[in-house]
Amino acid sequence: MNKFVKSLGMVSTLALLAACTNGNETATEDESSESGQETVGNMEGGNVNLAVWGSSPAETNALEETISSFEAETGIEVELEIIQDNFQDAMTARFAANNAPDVFYLEAFAAPMFIESGVLENISGEMDNTDDFFDPLIDVFRGEEDELFAVPKDYSTLALYVNEDMIEDAGLSVEDIPRDWDDLLVFAEELQGELEDNQAAMIVDQTLARHYSAFINNGLDPAGDEGQADFTSSPEALEYFQSIVDGTEAGFLQNPQIDMGIDSAGAAFGAGRAAMMIEGNWVISALNQEYSDVNYTVLESPTINGEEQSMTFTVGYTVARDAQNRDEAIAFINYMTGDGLKQWSELSGTLPPRESVAEEMNLFDNPVLEPHVLAAEYGTVWSSGESLPVVAASFDNYFQAAVNGTMTVEEAMEAAENEANAELDRR
Amino acid sequence: MNKKRKNNIQGLTFMAPATLTASLFIVVPIAYAFFMMFFNINLLSGTRTFIGFDNFSKIIGDPRFWAALRNTSTYVAVVVPIQTSIALILAALLNSKIKFNRVFLTVMFIPTLTSSSAMTLIFMWLFNNNGLVVNQIQQLTGARIQFLTNPDLALSVIMIMNIFSTVPHFMVVFLSGLQDIPANLYEAAAIDGATKVRQFFHVTIPQLMPILFYVVTMGVVGTFQIFDQAFILSGGTGGPQNSTLTFTLYIYQLAFTSNDMGRASAMSFILGVIIFTFTWIINKVMKADEMNG
Repeated sequence: MNKFVKSLGMVSTLALLAACTNGNETATEDESSESGQETVGNMEGGNVNLAVWGSSPAETNALEETISSFEAETGIEVELEIIQDNFQDAMTARFAANNAPDVFYLEAFAAPMFIESGVLENISGEMDNTDDFFDPLIDVFRGEEDELFAVPKDYSTLALYVNEDMIEDAGLSVEDIPRDWDDLLVFAEELQGELEDNQAAMIVDQTLARHYSAFINNGLDPAGDEGQADFTSSPEALEYFQSIVDGTEAGFLQNPQIDMGIDSAGAAFGAGRAAMMIEGNWVISALNQEYSDVNYTVLESPTINGEEQSMTFTVGYTVARDAQNRDEAIAFINYMTGDGLKQWSELSGTLPPRESVAEEMNLFDNPVLEPHVLAAEYGTVWSSGESLPVVAASFDNYFQAAVNGTMTVEEAMEAAENEANAELDRR
Repeated sequence: MNKKRKNNIQGLTFMAPATLTASLFIVVPIAYAFFMMFFNINLLSGTRTFIGFDNFSKIIGDPRFWAALRNTSTYVAVVVPIQTSIALILAALLNSKIKFNRVFLTVMFIPTLTSSSAMTLIFMWLFNNNGLVVNQIQQLTGARIQFLTNPDLALSVIMIMNIFSTVPHFMVVFLSGLQDIPANLYEAAAIDGATKVRQFFHVTIPQLMPILFYVVTMGVVGTFQIFDQAFILSGGTGGPQNSTLTFTLYIYQLAFTSNDMGRASAMSFILGVIIFTFTWIINKVMKADEMNG
């Protein structure tokens, strides 16, 4: 009996303690949000909460510093929340729970889904000087009627990385590297003949994310028509994919994981196992820091059928619909993609989506970055209709079968198209 | 009576925190999944429409469901017997008085401690088209077999990997079971003239039945839920040509590629029923109730 009373007492004390701490926390939160609401009108003070995903320490640092500049300038306080993994799923869950942050990162790939679900705030006309952004980067965040739902904070594009020493050792020169894709393949085949067995002339990734522009350049958007996938109606696009299959079979195009057993293209290139690779500017910091002995040049992505092309990957800031601190949120993203953009880009090492800032930072004179910045104008942004995730998954599932020869390219594309269409019908 | 009641209250009070947490994070989500499987749900905008059993008919009509069923069943049918027998044999060897058996035990236990994603990368390194295994096979036989991209072989790489990483755990379980078998049973058998092999089949195996039941059940449950290896090997697509698409990977795709939580919940329910049925059959066949009761 005595024991029972004691234990009961202990449990209730614990419960009481827990309740107290909870109570305290909610109290402080209430206070701060109240003070926030009082000052909305004059834009002095107030707060805004921001959710981002965790990336490199350099980027997190850059974000924190740019936020400090914003806070110093406006007096608005930013509550930063870093979500370590499954960011998109976490955001979905937050919306489902009616607990969305005011501002969050939005990947272009996922933008159509968020826009069509109607959970984002229409910010058309509230962003400063939108003409200055590279058109493809901002257009990807527009809705059906041209409303704006997000603004890009940075971007990456694909370019051709060349190991100068390997090319010269093979008796060739960097100036000889052709710009056209078909000629580049001929060059790669010749180069492969001069390389050692465990080296590849060129690394190629076989996922749709890296080749979507080949479809777009040939006038076909595989996920453009909602509810219908289309991989087959452009013979030129099929020819392009056939050339990848042929090149892989001949051995001068290789996949780092499957053919070489190296977990990334950058590592294979850095270790001198590949002479060329088509990669994004995200590899630069690793090439400079971990593989500083590699002597490399960056060229623009090859042209396909005589047209310039590249893939662009971009992330923007977006505001949740009916956000509690809407005005502060808009002030914040205006600053981060406007006055604070240069600071952010310089500190984080990302590319600024505004042309004026790119010029200010002399990026057009930077031999390594110039090819990437030029591609911002003509690159295809990795985003399309809401059906893109399904369409891309089907492509990746079947294109591999064409690469290893179990299916022809036509068969694989048809199978992928059918699988994607069946899945879209089921939705 | 009064005292008993007080004891009960005391017990319940102590259990309350755990019960509360468990129901909040396990029971409620499961109940919600039961509810969701009859709806077409958009989590983002929070809209949902009741569609009855449509999610189930959509799944049955999806060739990828059947591909996942085929892959997962093959996987279970191959992996469970092999991992169980290898674990049993290794445990029996370690239990005999060989030298350095502690050292062997420690070394053999390492694969279980390695994270499955690290393990997958090691296996991709071994089995890639320029990897050790492929090159060795080519040197020996002249044939160049591409494991990762060949739809007929991609799953077998995951099978080998899973056997490699789960055997040590089950081996230790068997070993503890073996050490519990009284020595006098073996003595009696030896006096009756039983050879070592007959002792193994007529003394060791029957004595190990409860352990065997545990190992087979956990093996079946674990293999039905295979996810991470297939996810990493195929980059989340289940390719090439759906050859590495397992049930859980299919559920993941329904939820996060197709953005269809209703169908993903329905598929989870189907998987739950399948695992339940198999465990029940194993229970009946191995007469676990009688042994343990």
